[in-house]
Amino acid sequence: MFYLRYLWAEITRRWSKTITIALGLGMASAVIIVIISVSQSLSASQDKVLNPLQNVGTDIMVTRSVDTENMAEIDDATRADMLEDNRIGIDLAELGDPGESFSDDSFLSGTMLTFNSDEITKLDTSLVKEAAAGLILNVMHQEGTIPEVTAEFKTGGEVFEVNSEIAPMTDAERAASDAARAKAEADLKAKGIDPRSQEGMEAVRTAMDAAMPERFQRSTTKFVAPERTYTQSVGPISTNISTGNLTVAGVDTTKTDIGLILPDQITSGTWFTGADQVIANKSYSDKNNYTLGGTIKLGGKELTLVGIVEPKLYTNTADLYLPLSDLQTLSERTDRINIMLVKATDAQSVEATSQKLASAFTGAKTTDANDTAKEVTGSLINAANLTNKFIGVTSVIVIAAAFIIVSLLTVLSVNKRIREIGTLKAIGWSNTKIVRQIISENIILGIIGAVLGVGLAVGTIALLNHYDISLTATIAGASEDTPFGFARRMFADETNADTGTTTTVQLTVVHSYLVILLGSLVAIFGSLFAGTIAALKASKMKPLEAFRSLE
Amino acid sequence: MDKNSTIIKTIKLVKKYRQGNKTINAVDNVNLEMKRGDLLVVIGPSGSGKSTLMQLIGGLDHPSSGEIEINGVDISKISERKLTELRREKIGFIFQNFNLIPTLTAAQNVEAVIAKRSRDDQRKVLAALKQVGLEQRAHHLPSLLSGGEQQRVAIARALINEPDIILADEPTGNLDSKTGEDIIRILSELNTQHGKTVMIITHSEYVRKFASKVIEIKDGNITS
Repeated sequence: MFYLRYLWAEITRRWSKTITIALGLGMASAVIIVIISVSQSLSASQDKVLNPLQNVGTDIMVTRSVDTENMAEIDDATRADMLEDNRIGIDLAELGDPGESFSDDSFLSGTMLTFNSDEITKLDTSLVKEAAAGLILNVMHQEGTIPEVTAEFKTGGEVFEVNSEIAPMTDAERAASDAARAKAEADLKAKGIDPRSQEGMEAVRTAMDAAMPERFQRSTTKFVAPERTYTQSVGPISTNISTGNLTVAGVDTTKTDIGLILPDQITSGTWFTGADQVIANKSYSDKNNYTLGGTIKLGGKELTLVGIVEPKLYTNTADLYLPLSDLQTLSERTDRINIMLVKATDAQSVEATSQKLASAFTGAKTTDANDTAKEVTGSLINAANLTNKFIGVTSVIVIAAAFIIVSLLTVLSVNKRIREIGTLKAIGWSNTKIVRQIISENIILGIIGAVLGVGLAVGTIALLNHYDISLTATIAGASEDTPFGFARRMFADETNADTGTTTTVQLTVVHSYLVILLGSLVAIFGSLFAGTIAALKASKMKPLEAFRSLE
Repeated sequence: MDKNSTIIKTIKLVKKYRQGNKTINAVDNVNLEMKRGDLLVVIGPSGSGKSTLMQLIGGLDHPSSGEIEINGVDISKISERKLTELRREKIGFIFQNFNLIPTLTAAQNVEAVIAKRSRDDQRKVLAALKQVGLEQRAHHLPSLLSGGEQQRVAIARALINEPDIILADEPTGNLDSKTGEDIIRILSELNTQHGKTVMIITHSEYVRKFASKVIEIKDGNITS
């Protein structure tokens, strides 16, 4: 058919025009496909992170959390429970003899107060499809040497003063002394010794001392020293006690599709298979260089590390996971839990169910996807927010720009063919034929543009995926509004450092056929739109244009 | 039809158009009559209105006033659709710039008028090209043809529907004189051997010797 051959000739013999317009259309189409695909992929990743609950088969978490911001408003009963749940009493004397090393773990529930595990059976079965219990505790670990407490006292050096009166010499005694002196001097002279010489003076003094009355020669006094009590304050005990801190969770092992961790989240090792076993969070295990099969001491008990887990419930992660009953025994909290994970019967009315469950028992608080989403920050959220804004504004701009450029190019190309169109009219082509011809050409250009666009888009998406773009989402960790934030700072001297979980999400852009179809339609309709404008312009041209001289 | 019957007739034909503030009578009260088989040569300086006159006769434009009769039908009053049909069926145009469609081959340019492709049409296309001596060049693009060859393709295109009237506007204007003479000879043969009514606008003196009638136009009027 002539029209098809004419069409083919126009497309293939004006190839530079064909390529230019088709590329313009293709770019618009590719931008649309890539933007929408990236946005959809980001949204999918975001949903996964923003609703971590769904990763553990949960819609709603029920806890009995105390709001640390409003501690003053807590009623007395709750306050008492909180103190009971967070009591630390370490009597070093009970841990061993001075000099011996000790290790002690105190289990605290922080602001996540415990409640009886019976509560789980009270959940309204019409609202709840499945539920699992959990106990998440903060462990304050202390170890070191029991100190020897001694105090040293040094006595002596006191001065006692004795004061007594002695009677003076009588005349007779004085005469006796003088006589002793005169006799000694006479004896000395008789021996030829001068009484004033050194030797003479000593002999005279000895003779006089001997003549002294008895009372001048000896005095004996008896006294009792007063009783005294020494009080000495003993300074700070120098010890090597160190305090560590970790979070441990008791997992409801009766459930395998709902719980704090699930068997399919074990990345190495196994799920619980027997008694005295522990599963470690991968990041905690890496930090402590744990090896599978090794032992971890907790609460004085040696547990065997059987598995490593990468928990998917980012908001309530623990460092170590034990079967619930084991943790209850270790922490002396028999039949106590502090979290219930609930799968709602009706996935559509999670919020309503959440509100009903909140009235389950005194102080019950529920958390659903809406609440967890608020705690997430990071590049993933930024990127997704950006893309959501981007997709609205930019797509419109890109489509508009592409339409304008393609329309201009098409109208321009029709203007260049003004004499050709005039000639066709002069030789008897009707307007209908001319319009049909131009629109057909544009549909073909649109199809070529769509093919180019899809190719460009698929290539760009492949390139994006090739470069392994990673985005992070950070879920608030031990900061103020999480159960153990205050406990960690209070007991473990931790700063307010953010130890939240950062999840890295690999951006995998997936293109759906629907998006590709949409992108293709943008190219085809863009070209059709431009072609219609051009064709209408052509139909208004007069056949006289055929007589215009060459430009 | 009678060889001496009137095929083209204009009565008090006027075409005005505005140029700035002035109204110009490009064709001013022209009365013209052509018999079937005439070869009319129209001469005149540039801007004299000779091309406008031809466009009115060819149904490419509507007159401001007056009548144009083709085969006794007043075409100044018929619809655009009828005019298109008239151009396709009754009139063959030849332009100074050949006006071939650059993306189509010689044969396709000729075929564009009938825009169908039966075996018969194919034969007609080749016959028309053969008539102008171009059957060997049927599948060449215009850009590969010389000016003379291109104008011969244009003539073949004008002939394909076997119209009664051939209107040629400066058909030799873009050709060297030798080639121009060839083209005039072809047009003259169409007139003498095939009985076509031919109207040629030209500056060429050479054409005069084939003419059955020569008119000169100046300022929209026939002066001789």
